[in-house]
Amino acid sequence: MRAPRFVKLLASLVAGVTALISMTAAAQSAGVKLPPYERVELRNGAVLLLMERHDVPLIAVNAVVRGGSAVDPQDQAGLSGLLANLLEKGAGKRDAATFADTLASVGGLLSASAGTEGIVITGSFLSRDQKLMVELLSDVLQRPQLTAAQFDSVRNRQIEFIRAAKDSELESLTPLYGKAALFPGHPYGKPAIGSEAGLAAATHDALMRHYRDQFGADRLILAVVGDFKTGAMKQSLTSALNGWRKAGAELPVITAPSKVTGRRVLLIDAPESVQSYFWAGNVGVARSYRDRAALDVVNTLFGGRFTSMLNSELRIRTGLTYGARSRFDRFTQPGPWQMSSYTQTKTTFEAIDLAFSVLDRLHNERIEPALLASGKTYVQGQFPLALETTNEWASALTDLEFYKLDRGYIDGYAASLGAVTSDDAQRMIRENFPSSDNVMLVVVGQAAVLREGLRKYGSVTEMKLSDPHFAAARR
Amino acid sequence: MRRLSLLLLLLTSVAHAQIPGAERIETVTLGNGMTIIVWPDPDIPNVALYNWVKVGSRNEVPGITGLAHFFEHMMFNGTSTRPPGSFDKELEANGANNNASTSNDVTIYKDWFPRDALELVFELEADRLRNLAFDPKVIESERGVVYSERRLGVDDSNAGRLMEQVQATAYVAHPYSIPTIGWPSDIEGWTVDDLKKFFATHYAPNNCTMILVGDVDPKKVIALARKYFEPIPRQAPPEPIRTKEPEQQGERRVLVEADAQTPLLQFAYHSIAGSDPRLPALELLLRILVDGDASRLHRALVEEQKVAISADGYLEAGFDPGLTWLFLSLPSNGDVAQAEKALDAEIDRIRKDGVTAAELNRARSQVIADFWRALATIDGKADQLGTYAVMRGGYQKLFEAPRAYEQVSLEDVKKLAAEILRPSNRTVGLLRAATNEENK
Repeated sequence: MRAPRFVKLLASLVAGVTALISMTAAAQSAGVKLPPYERVELRNGAVLLLMERHDVPLIAVNAVVRGGSAVDPQDQAGLSGLLANLLEKGAGKRDAATFADTLASVGGLLSASAGTEGIVITGSFLSRDQKLMVELLSDVLQRPQLTAAQFDSVRNRQIEFIRAAKDSELESLTPLYGKAALFPGHPYGKPAIGSEAGLAAATHDALMRHYRDQFGADRLILAVVGDFKTGAMKQSLTSALNGWRKAGAELPVITAPSKVTGRRVLLIDAPESVQSYFWAGNVGVARSYRDRAALDVVNTLFGGRFTSMLNSELRIRTGLTYGARSRFDRFTQPGPWQMSSYTQTKTTFEAIDLAFSVLDRLHNERIEPALLASGKTYVQGQFPLALETTNEWASALTDLEFYKLDRGYIDGYAASLGAVTSDDAQRMIRENFPSSDNVMLVVVGQAAVLREGLRKYGSVTEMKLSDPHFAAARR
Repeated sequence: MRRLSLLLLLLTSVAHAQIPGAERIETVTLGNGMTIIVWPDPDIPNVALYNWVKVGSRNEVPGITGLAHFFEHMMFNGTSTRPPGSFDKELEANGANNNASTSNDVTIYKDWFPRDALELVFELEADRLRNLAFDPKVIESERGVVYSERRLGVDDSNAGRLMEQVQATAYVAHPYSIPTIGWPSDIEGWTVDDLKKFFATHYAPNNCTMILVGDVDPKKVIALARKYFEPIPRQAPPEPIRTKEPEQQGERRVLVEADAQTPLLQFAYHSIAGSDPRLPALELLLRILVDGDASRLHRALVEEQKVAISADGYLEAGFDPGLTWLFLSLPSNGDVAQAEKALDAEIDRIRKDGVTAAELNRARSQVIADFWRALATIDGKADQLGTYAVMRGGYQKLFEAPRAYEQVSLEDVKKLAAEILRPSNRTVGLLRAATNEENK
């Protein structure tokens, strides 16, 4: 493969809000407009979003229940993830096996996962099976069985998935350590997949309480996109969901996290690894951030495409790594900005120094007009590819509703991109990209080799890869 | 993409799939032997281009293992008319993205771009096919990149390490034993001359099949193909791969001792080529075994016996008979012998008793639904069209696929299971923590 793709196993575990924020990855082409859709709010607060698309005989569903790992109890990280997994393990009158059989026998897909701010259920059905789709979805939301036996199985398996990732997918772990270090004690610091310790501490009672308090109609946004008739679908969903109760608890208010000042280092000892996997981040922007277009262009130029500044230096010019990139995760409140890469153990410091020097160069040199234009065109040119399928539109609709964005978020984006000026770009850098001496640095690698050298970057906290949590013990 | 009616869909489950728009596919073979296939689809203002080059690790020998994949990287690194990096810069500045991938059999170059960039993309693709240059400095830096890719996917991944060992053990003669990423000493050892020879042998227009799907006019695409690609001279076709893997004479086993929390178990069975008419039956069999929570292995080994945390599978359907893989991840205290026994019992059962009608119907529903999902994007269409054109004996066979799945009988599946899933036809791979003190 020429350019890296996100690692598989853990990608499936951290889906959720990753899908929810898919629109931040690319920008808008002049050709893409939000097609008409109908918004219905039920008396219990559930919001339905219905968009007809008749190009293929498929219906996509994307349901978000607000909450997610942000509302997990502090000592039970992963409880929302467990709840998400258990939704599919028996619902309504169907036990887990019957549920799986029913779904597979029509070639349907339905899966749930926890993201940072919501549990996301995605599905895809042939349009001829829409009645069954509504029935299964309705059962999953309102009548999951959540048995104690399934709870034990799913929890144990989830713990083992994390251990398996530590054996095979080190790159996918650095953001989990990074977010725990960047947001200590804050809801965004909790890993959506949970931690071995958090999952071990989770109880069936806590799960039932979590379902009662953090799950309900007033938390639900449900988008259905595809080959159906709006009138009939609206009626069917309304009658299926109208009687659902509200969540037992108020949705906790998340406060804005504080930026990191100065530079600190978290070293995770992976004694057998042959590469070092590093991540540096700070607090970025919220989803509602006004200058999204300008920020997308600058991040694309810095670390969001193949010829980005980061990838050009760490991969193309020096051959230190297979890939280097940066991104913003945007939530209700500012989420992380992060850059990450990896290199063989002996070139760890060379690669980290280089990544930091590229970040400093971003601050110290003005972006050339031709490069800025290239970034704008690139983001524009790729955007239609992110809104092609019914699933992508369903995800986009829940996204708009969840973050209270208007249709200008899609329709007006081309104009916003076109209007980005060189001064805008410089302001984005000043306001949203940290300097290299104000970041949390995370390194997974051979501590015996790296420990001393890492001290030049700041005070080093150390943990082991086998530790059952992603946050270092508080000092 | 145009509308497909529900009625049409239902018909396709019993008859030939008629995909609206498929009748607009145009294909041409240029004077130099290069095949172009165009599927116009104006759903979004973009185009997906897949250039399939018939070269992979199958075409390598000891000393140059990994070269097909390394070459895939070098195709982005400059020509006699453009400096290294220019290909990516020009594409990105015009709104295009690209990637590439290499397998045992093929190397695929992919571009996704706004329709207005069509001519530029053709100019750049033709330039690198005709004028590729080899800058020694760039080769050295790219060597580091590929080594890092290997460390990521193999050396620092227990799953990757075991798979490499199983692949190498499963074949004694055929070059499918070679890891596509390459053995470390070969990654360190390739020379400029190796690259030049490889380019001259395999990167000929008559070894390429180019697929375009998206908002394009086929007439214009074909005219541009004649302008940019047709002048590139045809070359003598590469030597065919003569070696056939001899019949395996008994189960093979390979053990990897690693710093592992979670042990791994892999079964790899010698199987069939992509053009084999039994492929639909094998795909359905594999789905019955591992596709989703209703599948046999998930239900028996993960849910009921809890000897594994996941059960997956994968089948290689290339030019020559590849492997059908089954993968189990075990829990950290997992007993590998017990898991192997349990997996073996499930395999034995399916060989002896076959599958049920309900299972076969379920797998069919899954495969048909996925067929439509794969055709929902221009990228998916380009991938499918190319797969069938290059690996399955003709792009038209894509549209016969639903009918082919319909025609698979219980007996077909049972026969295939009995033939392929034999213990003497497999390689068993185990990965676990070292038990011998010396090895720790």
